[in-house]
Amino acid sequence: MKTFANKNPQTLEQAVSFVQQARKDGQTPSVVGGGSDLLGMVKEFLIKPDVLVNLKTIKGLDQVAPTASGVSIGGLITLDTLGTHPLIRSQYAVLAEAAETVATPQIRNVGTLAGNVCQRPWCWYFRNGFPCLKNGGDTCFSIVGDNRFHAIFGGGPSYIVHPSDTAPALVALEAKFRIVGPSGERVVPAADFFVLPQKDATKENVLTADEVLAEVQLPPGHEGRRSTYNKVLDREAWTHAVVSAAVVLDMDNEICRRARIVLGGVAPIPWRLPNVERLLTGQRITPELAAKAGEAAIVGAQKLSKNAYKLPMTKALVRRTVLALATRA
Amino acid sequence: MSKRKNDISRRQFLEGTGAVLAVATAGPALKVELPAENPPVTDSVASGVPSTAIRLVVNGTEHRLEVEDRWTLAELLRDHIGLTGTKIGCDRGECGACTVLLDGKPVYSCSNLAVWADGREVQTVEGLAHGEQLDPLQRAFVEHDGPQCGFCTSGQLMSAKGLLAHNPHPTPHEVQAAMTGNICRCSNYNRYVEAVLAAAATKNATASKSNSGRSTASTKSGAEVSATKGRRNAAISTTGAGGAR
Amino acid sequence: MSRMPTPTLALLKTVGHATPRIDAVERVTGKATYSGDVHLTGMLYARILRSPHAHAQIRKIDVSKAQALPGVKFVLTHENCTVVWGAGSIAGGRQYVDEIKKTTRQRRYAFNNPVRFFGEPVAAVAATDRHIAEEALRLITVEYETLPFVLDQEEALRPESVKIWPDGNVSLDVKNEAKPEVYRRGDVEEGFRTADHVFEDRYTTTYVHNAQMEPRVSVASWEGDKLTLYTPTQGTSNCRHDMARDLGIPDEKVRVICKYMGGGFGNKNQNQDADLIAAVLAKETGAPVKLELSRKEDFIGVHGRWPTTQYYKVGVSNDGTLQSLQLRGYSGMGPYRKNSGGITGVELYQCPNVESTVYPVYTNRAVSGNYRAPEFPQGFFGIQSMMDDVAYKMKMDPVEFVLKNMTRKSNDEVPYSNYTLEDCIRRGAEAFEWKKRWHAPGAEPGAIKRGAGMAFMTIRSPLGQSSAVIRLDSNGRYTVFVGVTDIGAGAKTTMSMIAAEELGIPLPNVDLVWGDTDRCPYSVGESGSRTTDMTGYAVIEAARDLKRQIAEKGLPKGENALIASASPNPNSEGKVRKSFGAHFVEVEVDTELGRVRVLKYIAVHDSGRIMNPLTATSQIKGGATQGIGMALHEDLVYDQRSGQPLNAGYYGARIMTHLDAPEIEVIFIESDDGYGPFGAKCIGEAGIVHAVAAVGNAVFNAIGRRMKDLPITRDKILGAMA
Repeated sequence: MKTFANKNPQTLEQAVSFVQQARKDGQTPSVVGGGSDLLGMVKEFLIKPDVLVNLKTIKGLDQVAPTASGVSIGGLITLDTLGTHPLIRSQYAVLAEAAETVATPQIRNVGTLAGNVCQRPWCWYFRNGFPCLKNGGDTCFSIVGDNRFHAIFGGGPSYIVHPSDTAPALVALEAKFRIVGPSGERVVPAADFFVLPQKDATKENVLTADEVLAEVQLPPGHEGRRSTYNKVLDREAWTHAVVSAAVVLDMDNEICRRARIVLGGVAPIPWRLPNVERLLTGQRITPELAAKAGEAAIVGAQKLSKNAYKLPMTKALVRRTVLALATRA
Repeated sequence: MSKRKNDISRRQFLEGTGAVLAVATAGPALKVELPAENPPVTDSVASGVPSTAIRLVVNGTEHRLEVEDRWTLAELLRDHIGLTGTKIGCDRGECGACTVLLDGKPVYSCSNLAVWADGREVQTVEGLAHGEQLDPLQRAFVEHDGPQCGFCTSGQLMSAKGLLAHNPHPTPHEVQAAMTGNICRCSNYNRYVEAVLAAAATKNATASKSNSGRSTASTKSGAEVSATKGRRNAAISTTGAGGAR
Repeated sequence: MSRMPTPTLALLKTVGHATPRIDAVERVTGKATYSGDVHLTGMLYARILRSPHAHAQIRKIDVSKAQALPGVKFVLTHENCTVVWGAGSIAGGRQYVDEIKKTTRQRRYAFNNPVRFFGEPVAAVAATDRHIAEEALRLITVEYETLPFVLDQEEALRPESVKIWPDGNVSLDVKNEAKPEVYRRGDVEEGFRTADHVFEDRYTTTYVHNAQMEPRVSVASWEGDKLTLYTPTQGTSNCRHDMARDLGIPDEKVRVICKYMGGGFGNKNQNQDADLIAAVLAKETGAPVKLELSRKEDFIGVHGRWPTTQYYKVGVSNDGTLQSLQLRGYSGMGPYRKNSGGITGVELYQCPNVESTVYPVYTNRAVSGNYRAPEFPQGFFGIQSMMDDVAYKMKMDPVEFVLKNMTRKSNDEVPYSNYTLEDCIRRGAEAFEWKKRWHAPGAEPGAIKRGAGMAFMTIRSPLGQSSAVIRLDSNGRYTVFVGVTDIGAGAKTTMSMIAAEELGIPLPNVDLVWGDTDRCPYSVGESGSRTTDMTGYAVIEAARDLKRQIAEKGLPKGENALIASASPNPNSEGKVRKSFGAHFVEVEVDTELGRVRVLKYIAVHDSGRIMNPLTATSQIKGGATQGIGMALHEDLVYDQRSGQPLNAGYYGARIMTHLDAPEIEVIFIESDDGYGPFGAKCIGEAGIVHAVAAVGNAVFNAIGRRMKDLPITRDKILGAMA
């Protein structure tokens, strides 16, 4: 590994100042949470930090706390803690379930919510150091290359898929992200946090280089709400989603009053399906309606040379997930 | 090619479908001297490389040392503390051979920096046994033929240890889910699951002799929508196969 | 000496009884010392710079900046290191034939120019620290002239494809001639003319990496003119001889030590380029050198199972009897021929007219080589999928088709030393409840469909020469010296058990010395599933000699010891020895999400007498599970435009995890052909041989679509269902 200095800030403000100081000194900083993915990227020389700002030494950023307006989750909470937390499991099942599907127990024991949301793409061109848009180049190699895992929605000029499992869940829950930076804080709705490549192909979210995702705020639960996360992996563990679906339904007896459906693995950002949500709203969810929802889910999808299979897969996953959730006892 | 008088030195044997001449030499067999390997590990930090003084407890022993900031925990344990039982199979958090317990939880020591372990407690495979007294998991691994090549074994043990600490009586599926971050390319997965279940069943008792062919693992069924969720899926059948003798 | 009468099981005290490994405690306590755990005083660390191109001429290498980095001790390139890696490229793929290694025209050096695959070594650095060595690699500047490349084994034979070697892309045979491997009996064209039905199809298999858990590592140390090498090798004797030949020194000047190794799965019964590079760096620097390969380097820089393209043509009569069978196959060897590139399978059938033509072809992919049953799972997948399809088209139950057409004599000519293939199939079908589980293909309603499949196998179990020495001292300790390493199959335990049995002593009275060429006699090495058969045989012979000596001279006293050695070279009197087996699999296929899961797996094997049921069962379980991985997941995917691999490693190649592994139920039929040590036959590779085909056939039975290209991934299932 290349050399770098590890910095242990005590506060978020100090973390931000370490980042700024490094840049002032002409050094490259990296902010690190759990570090599993980041260290792998350092080892592959995909990133070449001179300074690692280790957020793990900041106290109190790993808590789940009820607030007046819902629940606050510290960005440094581990995925294991998140996935097993009683409040999250009962009120925000989609998030707990998403956290549980990430990688392996060893990674969930150190990997953080913020890190999972902010992780870089796992596109094999990016990870193998091709000079692609994500690596500072000017082309996306998947377009004419092997794109079996690439985007069917929202692609262009980059066709990566967002790798996070928790991100679709957070968008479906209408979470807000509290971001801390040099000029203070800002709060961004989860849906606005992620950035399509057509806007900026070099990154996946709105964070600037000296900002930190500090906290996730969830709105309160809702009477009759049920939610779930289903993920298609291409072995039984430790792969990113080929396709995944985060579904939140607000049910009034058998009638769906409100639906939020967000896909993972299909687009450069968590991909919300408003047309499917509208289709379900105010309706009793029958097998027929679920099938229609599945059909609607792939309206507008654009296949590349090797990822056409994601269309029927998405269709079936949305249909099954919606139906199973709506008819769950 | 050396000239040896010994009739052991040249041979012909059948390889595949054709006769093939293979030549090799045999040593004189009885010269018994041990190689000078594994002296005390004394490497220190390289000059000019950022380093940090840390304190950590490894298998109950406190260590205060200066570590390069870029050293992984695996590297610290193996090269600088001399605990080579922790293996590095991929160095990328993909295989689990480097699994240790960090404050009681299984982590990939290849994917954590040593400096991040400052003030924390690490348990490695070397810390499982009490003197000659093996941990029940180790005994079960021996009796149920857990290790084939053994390279993933330390990691499998530490994941199992982490599991049993908070779930003393796991189902087969829970064992698989807890250990799924530990690849075994010999693919002795059935044996590992069988061993962990046996250890859980006979905690602190002498495990019974292993039946040659018996194993326990899940054969799940059902639609994927439920099967991708570790916790919820418990459709397990346990069967005994005949190692017919 | 050939026949070896075997006592009945009831009389055996050690052999045949489930016995934990003699070194299991070392393996569960972290005390087992693998090559990477060796730490020598003053040791340097080495790293390899690898080609970023699939095919390129190196115009210039500038190592000056690397050399100037503090801590760097030496840099090797093709300019200052011209060592030939004899085992790296061998005409005919005859890896144990020393003469051919010397005469092969297509030499492979430790560092080659041009480089012929992405990941080929270009330079190596030794430094005081592994991080410094790694940083130094990035300071080496290489000027490449990139050349056209070809990745696919069929495409490589087209006239317009780049010639990777001047002789063309068909790799050379033992006479240095570019010819395919051909086998013929009868006249296939005549057979097709007279057959009632003729079927043709094409199957492909992928590059599957051995992926043993321990990445390659080599620790080399010179004392004067003698080299000591710690390396994960499956054959210390062969590795030593390879090192001596490549370095131009006598065998006695090389000592190879391998106490424990993290898996083999093939092609390690020799030296590696890493061994040579470490040895040269250690020589140049005058210090011990540890050369470590990363997982990615191990995936792309070493070798894996050769990918194949197989064309079959099968003629049958109206009653389903095979009349004619033809295979034209292409094996992608990468740019060097390390091993045979064979595609086996035609030998599984009784048929008057057979022709097999297999082209081992050079490509600019990672080098192919032996991986557990090197020529088998590929060909068995192809031909047993083909035959399953023929049975389906002939409206026959696949098991009935197999029983009608399977081999009864080797190549319909030479008798087997014994024959239990039919027993394996019938026993498996019964245990599996074949008639209940197998149904008309794709017949189950609903999106999630079950299906049943089977495949069968024979695999070579030859006898041959190996050696053993046993010493008895006055304290009653028996020390067995065998040149084995223990790659995970349990050779140390098996050898000790065989010695204890033959000597009539308890197992704990046996000490074993292994894995060190200065302390052990020659061993054939732990490859080809032959340690139990060959070295085990030698242990018995040595034990018998020792017993004779005891009878003549009495027990040793004081400083005296009795020493017995044996180097037998038995044969099976013209009969062909084979192990037999049949696998039965039930899968569930989700036709909407593309997932395939194994629900039930029964593996029936006759590997002769089972020496240690505990470890033997593990061998079969492991082999079958690896086969499932090959069937469903594994491939090394290349970017077609750059010739760069995209998914090296456990994550990328989707190696099976705990949650992927089904229970493998193992049933042994233990026959004794009278030739093996206590009746043993080969077992180590047997489990994987037909597993892939069995899974593929089960998928067909579930969905009614034939999956002809491995691996059977979700995208292919969904593509087939579309």
